[in-house]
Amino acid sequence: MTTKLTHNMFPMAGLSAIAVMAAVFLVSLWDFALSQNADGKPAPPVLQRQTSQPVDATSPGGEVLPEFKQAGVCARCHVVSVLEWGLSGHVEAEQGCQECHGPSLKHVADERNRVKPDHLPRGRVPVTRLCSNCHETGCPESLEVQDCQKCHHVHALINPAKPPATKHDRLEKLLARWEQFGRQLAEGDQHVTQQDWKAAQTAYGAALELIPGNHRAAEKLQMCNRRLNPHLPGFKTVGETVDQETGLPHKVRVAGEDIPMLLVPTGEFDIGSDKLADSRPVHTVHVDAFYLGQYEVTQAEWQAIMSANPSAHQETGFPDAQQMPVERVSWNDCQEFLRRLNARVAGGGFRLPSEAEWEYACRGGTLNSGLTSRNRYVGEDLSKRAWYRANSLRQPATESKFVQIEAYAPRPVGRRDPNAWGFGDMQGNVSEWCSSLYRPYLYHPSDGRESPILPGLRVIRGGAFANSAAALDPALRHAERPYRRLRWNGLRLARSVPSLQKKATASNQP
Amino acid sequence: MNEPVSRRTFLQQGTGLTLAAGLSGPRLFAGEGPEPIQTFRRGGMLYRRLGQTDLFVSALSFGSHVNPGYRQSAKQGSALTEKGQARRDRHISKAFDYGVNMVDTYENAGQWQPMAKLVRTQREKVLVSICRQFPNFVGKNIDDAARLFGHVDMYRIYVGDGPGVDEKILEDWDVMRTAKKTGKVRAIGISTHSQRMMSSALEELEGLDYIMFPYNFIHARSDYSEFLPKAVRRKVGLIAIKPLAAGSIVKLDPRARPGSTPENPRIELYQNRNRPVLPAVVQKLTESLGRSPDETLCQSALRFVYSRPFMTSAMPGMFQEHELDDNYAALQSHLKLSQAEQDVLDAAHKLSSAYGPTWLPPHYRWLDQRWRVPT
Repeated sequence: MTTKLTHNMFPMAGLSAIAVMAAVFLVSLWDFALSQNADGKPAPPVLQRQTSQPVDATSPGGEVLPEFKQAGVCARCHVVSVLEWGLSGHVEAEQGCQECHGPSLKHVADERNRVKPDHLPRGRVPVTRLCSNCHETGCPESLEVQDCQKCHHVHALINPAKPPATKHDRLEKLLARWEQFGRQLAEGDQHVTQQDWKAAQTAYGAALELIPGNHRAAEKLQMCNRRLNPHLPGFKTVGETVDQETGLPHKVRVAGEDIPMLLVPTGEFDIGSDKLADSRPVHTVHVDAFYLGQYEVTQAEWQAIMSANPSAHQETGFPDAQQMPVERVSWNDCQEFLRRLNARVAGGGFRLPSEAEWEYACRGGTLNSGLTSRNRYVGEDLSKRAWYRANSLRQPATESKFVQIEAYAPRPVGRRDPNAWGFGDMQGNVSEWCSSLYRPYLYHPSDGRESPILPGLRVIRGGAFANSAAALDPALRHAERPYRRLRWNGLRLARSVPSLQKKATASNQP
Repeated sequence: MNEPVSRRTFLQQGTGLTLAAGLSGPRLFAGEGPEPIQTFRRGGMLYRRLGQTDLFVSALSFGSHVNPGYRQSAKQGSALTEKGQARRDRHISKAFDYGVNMVDTYENAGQWQPMAKLVRTQREKVLVSICRQFPNFVGKNIDDAARLFGHVDMYRIYVGDGPGVDEKILEDWDVMRTAKKTGKVRAIGISTHSQRMMSSALEELEGLDYIMFPYNFIHARSDYSEFLPKAVRRKVGLIAIKPLAAGSIVKLDPRARPGSTPENPRIELYQNRNRPVLPAVVQKLTESLGRSPDETLCQSALRFVYSRPFMTSAMPGMFQEHELDDNYAALQSHLKLSQAEQDVLDAAHKLSSAYGPTWLPPHYRWLDQRWRVPT
């Protein structure tokens, strides 16, 4: 029986043209190694690229293939290479990727694929020299000592004249399974277009049973579950708008507190800016869907939870103070506020946004960052979008000989144009505390920077009413000690999407 | 009776002692200081890196001092007369020729506009240092300066005296940090005459690049047991203001050139009614100076500052061209103090002690009260 692996087996999302070319090249090598022909079978489904999980490669029995277990992080990108290598005896001999390519830590950490592995032997001599590290006496069959690749494929290492039958069969079953998985997904998608959520739920559930843990199927199933059961604990849905990808309501209010929050969809974006020293290098970050406060937390909202108002701008001279953002709060104060809020609202889970989440939401799906020379941001006049030094002066400057800080003040939230995703006052008005510790980029949420207990400066984003236009750059990272209270530091609520994973699994049961 | 020490215990104790010795921190003034600040010479001028910034500041820098003889009141603050401004411009230009690259500029002395005009053609070579003078919001002040000068190289606030950094200073500092992040300012710092404010600033102000504070051989407090080692460890740039004690050291110098006027003419030292009081001490100083025939007391005093590897720059008042020449000449030979120079400084120290605070002009006598090193 013959099998053909096509480039459809590759993770397509996010691959550059070079990667695709390299993939096609590898596939051709694969074909050469197996010396087999296509049999006209339909192509297996596309493997989705996973940012944080290895590719799901399960054997027909439902277990992860041993070569994928061994390859670990390498299997996230080099799917075909790992499959090829799985056909060789090197798997049993526990000669993994690192044995030939070195630890290659920088290559693994480089999301943009600019850094090559530590060792990447190419050509007859380097490859043969590498092989001879273990196979000192050369090939026992052909007695070849000069050119291993004359007979053996670079990863599969099999002799094309003698393809391994057992492994080959196993691979065939796996491909059939993927094929069935793809059909189920396509069926589910068809039901989605007809808005038949129940049928789509069944199809996606079946797909997930075929490839357990598949991220794409799980997300689609979750979307169907949310469509069938739109209730989110602690939230009141506002309006009918629903995100097509996740099935989540676009706008909600915190139950009992009436704080408006908007959905930030899942996605990737380039965080940072090459123009700002602390924001280099620009790199890609994945953000899961979450809810973010439409506006900064106001003085009234703070007072309702904390029974106190620490703001510098209140009472006399500020008739709208209750609608103005709360300020002069420390990061520690924010944690206490969140603790009390979580105790009051069903489901809890309210928190500060991470700095990546904040910047993602601030950019609102646009690629631009930074200001042009005339204080225009993303083609718009910044003064229409933000309160900052140019438009936040309270008293006319002529009244006083000097302009002091007291002359500037924040304004009630939502009085300026929102950004593309509907968030108001992301830039200016008051700066916003983030959950993240201030550490150099690259941004890795798992490296401890999101720890709520580690000491250090906490990130502040967005600029404030007293800042110049340049300080309102969405990529500008500011930081302050967590106990400091300044008159322009406030906060904005965030909340992860309440997980429906358990419900999704349960709903698959007959 | 002591128990015998086992081999394991001995090794553990030995390791502990070794670790303790290694971790006890560098001893700043015992010749085992931390990594010295980066230095290079170009022409006759010495340049040192300012804290952790990418700025290299000349060891001799030009202050914002204004010759009182040429001062006149202005709409806001004061300004120099036309003649006075011409003199100052000439001195600064000559300083640039010597390699001086940092000039301090006061807004309330009317120095912004003339300075902007002076550096327009050589903006990339000159570091303009700005101190907020009027009670304007720091952000506005920085923007005004950046608009005039293109960018601000060094911006500082005067933090005065007090128990420590307060909320007002923290707010100003926050704005300064933001301005630095956005590229409007290249280095931010404070100036103060208070040691406790300096120590507090080191603790409280994130990203502190430099501190300007009074430092000369009479008022260089040897009891900086906390501040200086901490500042050096944090790699904060240290700039000495009043390295010649507001010009009073000129007056201690029996061999000072005629015309060397201190900042304030009311200094009473060496006036006829004081001169005969302490002939023995003056004699001692004169003898010491005699062993360094080519050097004045002021040059020794400046070399005292230059010889400190942790000091980035000294900013003496310079009202005469020959003062600039003398101060520049102090950088030309060795930087380490010789024994003869040390004797000169000791004698001058004793002389100033003998006169009491009257060796300083009345408005600078706080220097003796707060900073004087006991003899």
